[in-house]
Amino acid sequence: MTDTQTLNPSDLTDAGPAGLTVEDLTIRYGGNVAVSGFSLAGPLGWVTGLIGPNGAGKTTTFNACSGLLRPSAGRVSLFGADVTNLAPPARARLGLGRTFQRMELFDSLTVAQNVRLGREAALAGCNPLRQLISTAADRRAIAAAVAEAIELCGIGDMAGLRAGSLSTGQRRLVELARALAGDFRFLLLDEPSSGLDKAETAVFGSILRRVVEERGSGILLVEHDMDLVMRVCDYIYVLDFGQPIFDGTPVEVRRSPVVRAAYLGSEAADV
Amino acid sequence: MNDLLPFIIAGITSGSIYGLTAMGLVLSYKTSGIFNFAHGAIAAAAAYLFYTLNVEHGIAWPVAALVCVAIGGPLLGLALEFFARLLAEVPPARKVVGTVGLLLAIQGLISVIYGGDLRSTPQFLPTSRFSIGGTQVEYSQLIVVLLSTGAAVGLYLFFRSTRLGVAMRGVVDDPTLLALDATNPVRVRRAAWLISASFAAASGILIAPTLGLEPLLLTLLVVQAFGAAAIGSFSSLPLTFVGGLAVGLLSSLSTKFVLGKSGLSGLPPSIPFLVLFVVLLVMPKGRLVQAGVRARAAVRERSALPRPARLAIGAGGALALLAVPQLVGAKLPVFTNGATFVLIFLSLSLLVWTSGQVSLCHAAFAGVGAAAFGQLTTQLHVPWALALVLAGVVTVPVGAIVAIPAIRLSGLYLALATFGFGILVQRVGYPSSLLYGSGGTRAVPRPGISWLSSDTGFYYVVLAVAALACLLVWAVYHSRLGLLLRGLADSPLALSTMGTTINVTRVLVFCLSAFLAGVAGGLFGAAVGNIGGFGFGPFESLTWLTVLAVAGTSQFGAAFVAAGLLAVAPAYYPSGWNEYQTLAFGVIALIVALQLPQRYDLRGRVARAARGSAQRREASPLRARPALEGVQV
Repeated sequence: MTDTQTLNPSDLTDAGPAGLTVEDLTIRYGGNVAVSGFSLAGPLGWVTGLIGPNGAGKTTTFNACSGLLRPSAGRVSLFGADVTNLAPPARARLGLGRTFQRMELFDSLTVAQNVRLGREAALAGCNPLRQLISTAADRRAIAAAVAEAIELCGIGDMAGLRAGSLSTGQRRLVELARALAGDFRFLLLDEPSSGLDKAETAVFGSILRRVVEERGSGILLVEHDMDLVMRVCDYIYVLDFGQPIFDGTPVEVRRSPVVRAAYLGSEAADV
Repeated sequence: MNDLLPFIIAGITSGSIYGLTAMGLVLSYKTSGIFNFAHGAIAAAAAYLFYTLNVEHGIAWPVAALVCVAIGGPLLGLALEFFARLLAEVPPARKVVGTVGLLLAIQGLISVIYGGDLRSTPQFLPTSRFSIGGTQVEYSQLIVVLLSTGAAVGLYLFFRSTRLGVAMRGVVDDPTLLALDATNPVRVRRAAWLISASFAAASGILIAPTLGLEPLLLTLLVVQAFGAAAIGSFSSLPLTFVGGLAVGLLSSLSTKFVLGKSGLSGLPPSIPFLVLFVVLLVMPKGRLVQAGVRARAAVRERSALPRPARLAIGAGGALALLAVPQLVGAKLPVFTNGATFVLIFLSLSLLVWTSGQVSLCHAAFAGVGAAAFGQLTTQLHVPWALALVLAGVVTVPVGAIVAIPAIRLSGLYLALATFGFGILVQRVGYPSSLLYGSGGTRAVPRPGISWLSSDTGFYYVVLAVAALACLLVWAVYHSRLGLLLRGLADSPLALSTMGTTINVTRVLVFCLSAFLAGVAGGLFGAAVGNIGGFGFGPFESLTWLTVLAVAGTSQFGAAFVAAGLLAVAPAYYPSGWNEYQTLAFGVIALIVALQLPQRYDLRGRVARAARGSAQRREASPLRARPALEGVQV
């Protein structure tokens, strides 16, 4: 544990109800330590940023949060409940959604079907009967959620197109809409703006703020676009070589010499 | 101990050949990410070529062997590298279809040239004997073991110490990085395929004298290598060779232990597949990482026809099917068979195209269903229609068993596990009294009402069942499960992180698919009256998948086209065409899997050519004249 870490997850409880909390997370691949002793609190109602150079362990942390990786040590809790030993679908059903750095869309389905699966997948869950058929109440909830998510992301005009035929920027929006259609109270977004142009990124940022403010969801955002991070995040954690090196508000992060040395470089001063 | 020695020696001999085959298989898989189901077929082709040169033309065996291993093998290897490069970009299900298609093509070609009969080839190596511990050993056995082991050690050293060998290891990890290092990945892969094909050729020549020459036997038996490759977790060459020895020893020793136990006689030859199935089930998942880059799923093309046209085709087709008994005369049973195959292909395409999972044991489902239907009707006297449904229900647990590997494995490994399972069912399941018993067949009645049991009546019964199956599949396709399955085919990862327990989804689709195939099995049985496991072997499973690939990917259209191609069309071929059928299916499936039409934009070219000729016609002076005349007037 480095002494630059100033805040414990428990200190943040006044920020909002507990969303995603990671305590002392350590992940080893064979002999390599990818993440070491990392703690993080992502409260509801906040966009929490996670930044750091390539290979810092951001996506590894994400995978541990969503259950794709089993941590070597440490605890992951969701809304106050320990989920460290739950499989990815179970965590999703508790309300944890995510996107992927390399987008995982259903390419042969239409945009509308992609977004619909965002809701339908959790409703189907693990019960064979529920996977076979949906109830009328399900269908109403799905229709409403799909319409809202499509409207929020402004992808109504491409609803009938195949996801595989879209451009990268459009695909990012579809993946976000799919995550928003789900009944997720906490979202993990892995470099959602990579491949987007400036205008698209601006739209993206405002959608994220709306989600947090209007729905009270929590977001954990991994991002390389510092403009976007500084603009939308309430609180930021910085990782380097698997070690937490700093955390604080955007202003504090920008001023921190530690962060500047490790990641931001001199350009941070201009941001 | 001494009474075991002959079995141990025989086991080591055949085991070293399996090891040799398996090393070739693993080498090409490791470097290209393409698992070559046709590896055994290459061995078969080499064995036949050797037979022609050595036995038919009297060329000395060292020369003949050199031609096969040093010329024939590498030439095939070149072609294989080309196929593998194209296959690298297609989704896993299509990779399987591609090399299975190649298997059928090579095997079909051999059948066309040599016929399908078993020929014996004399042992070309010296057959004089010497004695080890009182057991007579042929020099040929010693030579086989030495040759195989020598090749294995040579390959291992090559991999460890030469520049090309090290590059081969690099090409698996990161081809782009290797390219930056001024080593051409294509060249490296080509070398791997050349070696792989030569190893296959050598093992075919070595094993043919013990097995005899029969296209299917060689193709499937050299597939014993699968078991050995599984022991080496499809990546370690030394372990793979050891695995080959283990498989050979186990098979040989088990022959001794089941002597006199009639119920188990199918066990020894299926040991490699048992090994394969079990290893795939217990191997830690992390060791079974699929080689090769992840392919982005090809976007399925939507039916180009507008809805009214599709409805019209559907209605017209339905009318034609209803009128069949009035039109086809004595060929009616062919159409009954075809209507049954519609169920098979509906069930297979639900699994393969809709959910993206490959089954190479579909014929086993049908075989179990047929046997169950026979028992339910003739022994338990269950009413006919109820028994048909129950035949499907009985098959469901079998589907669930196959789904267990599906939970742990995907893509290639699932295909391999299902293939192993299909062979197990054929070798061990069919002869057991649970299914067909030692007699090998079961009586299966038609419906009790006399008109329905006539050929015409029974045709309508089958047609009605097929229609119900279409309805069922249509309902599933448009239900929540249908959407989940299509999502599963594209990205299991996304589906799972959004809250669906995809293992349940996988089991569901396997059960559903097995149900339909089981019902179809019952109908196959009732059509002929007396059925055995003969038509439900692993080769049928391969053929069915291939024919489905040929017929396209539309959910319903493909099922009907495939059934027509496989069951009905052969009755109308001119005589002599039938022997080309397997070859044709194999070649077309390969072309489809390689996506050659899309790659070279055949549709666009045809359209452009048509447009171009229309423009030329318009621009031609002959066409221009009326306009000019108009100006003059």
